[in-house]
Amino acid sequence: MRKRAPGSRLVVDPVTCDGIGMCAHLAPDVVRADSWGYPIIAGDTLTTREERQARKAIAGCPRKALLLIEHCGP
Amino acid sequence: MVWHVRRRVAALEVRALRPGRRDDLALLDKSVVFPDNKPGVLPAAQTLASHLARLGPRPVADESLFDALDELDLTGRGGGHFPVARKWRAARDGVRSSGRSAVVVANAAESEPASAKDLALLVQRPHLVLDGLVCVAEAVEARDLVLWTHGDGHPLHGRLVQALHERRATLHEPVVRLVSGPSSYVSGESSAIVRALAGGPALPQFTLEHATSGGVSGAPTLVHNVDTLARIGLLARFGPASARRTSLVTVFTAGHRTVVEADETWRIVDAVRAGGWSADESPQAVLMGGYGGQWLPWAEAAHLAVHEPTLRSAGTSLGAGVLVPLPTDRCGLTETARIARFLADSGARQCGPCLFGLPALAEIVVSLARGRASRGDLRRLQRWSAEVSGRGACHHPDGAVRVITSALQVFGDDCAAHRRGRPCAGSRAPGILPFRTTVLA
Repeated sequence: MRKRAPGSRLVVDPVTCDGIGMCAHLAPDVVRADSWGYPIIAGDTLTTREERQARKAIAGCPRKALLLIEHCGP
Repeated sequence: MVWHVRRRVAALEVRALRPGRRDDLALLDKSVVFPDNKPGVLPAAQTLASHLARLGPRPVADESLFDALDELDLTGRGGGHFPVARKWRAARDGVRSSGRSAVVVANAAESEPASAKDLALLVQRPHLVLDGLVCVAEAVEARDLVLWTHGDGHPLHGRLVQALHERRATLHEPVVRLVSGPSSYVSGESSAIVRALAGGPALPQFTLEHATSGGVSGAPTLVHNVDTLARIGLLARFGPASARRTSLVTVFTAGHRTVVEADETWRIVDAVRAGGWSADESPQAVLMGGYGGQWLPWAEAAHLAVHEPTLRSAGTSLGAGVLVPLPTDRCGLTETARIARFLADSGARQCGPCLFGLPALAEIVVSLARGRASRGDLRRLQRWSAEVSGRGACHHPDGAVRVITSALQVFGDDCAAHRRGRPCAGSRAPGILPFRTTVLA
């Protein structure tokens, strides 16, 4: 088992994502849109403020393509 | 230990059978040439009887095979070169914790148009591959054994059906299911296979869990290339001490795909020569790995050893085992443009990077090859390459970016000339790369 990393990460399921772009609006510190509007998410662990934004993005995603991973798996 | 005793017995049996032990430890009997653009005939298939006469019966796989894998440090051929033993342990842990039996898959869906190593192996040693598959199943206590191939009436299909029938009639071992997927480029990707076997489309999928712990409908799943399985078939018989660290390589030159088994002492130049490169002058560059691989200048590549760890430390990889030497009278950018377009067309079109990124990249590379790209196009190419990389459900976009980026570096001078609207003479010559697998009768 790998060690539990502190904090959480935002992950997108790229297959489900349709590039609608809500996440980049709702979580501007975590997500930026690529040239076609699809989310680019830095793989870093989130600060408390970023996590709050990320949760908003997850709730607001029309495709339900965002996930919050609480600790890093393998 | 049981292992050592059995190994010695197996070795003795074989020595009694044939004096040429070194031949038995090779994967291929001889290099195979598949001429392109001409219907050809597959060489005669190996029968189960001749396989058993040559190598003797397959020993039952147990714990000792894990140690043998560790000792040989056998890695998979899926691009990540993940240690096989680690995969097996993860799958076995998954079986024990979930109480579900595992699924093991022999991946015979060879998607690289320039590659023929899996085809060569399945023609010459189908039973060695199937031995390997059954060994994996025994080692991780799997009950579902699958041989995954491309569909579309591939001539190999009939051969494989016949091989499976022979085994069912002769051997007491688990039954292997032959499953044919679509003959698309991405259908050989392991998450696509897992998804298809669970009843979905044969397209890559996004997962948080590795297939070894939750694959086909949640069952621990192992997907191995046939190349890996054939090695396991030999390893189970002869042990790690006598295993040969060779690589199966397809050299594509002059319209022919030649499959050679390269020793670790070989250099790229040796493999390319053995694969039929006969011209006096050296190629200008070589495409390493496949269409999602990378170009290397010949001077840099020629003396590298055909040995994955060595190549990795040199920043390259054997990938799918394809080597394409590029003659000096051809244009690397034009060939890359054709690759880029092929990869853009053969993506799964599921993720943004594949749906929009790859066609956009391909368009720029095509206009660059034709001498019509602007400075802005090149800046966009760089920006989009960075944006697309690492963001798909599978590594298809990453491969496309890798091959394009390497072309811009390796053919830098050409690139500047093309950019100024003066494409090289080679760009008007017909392309050399194949984009369809050979039609064989």
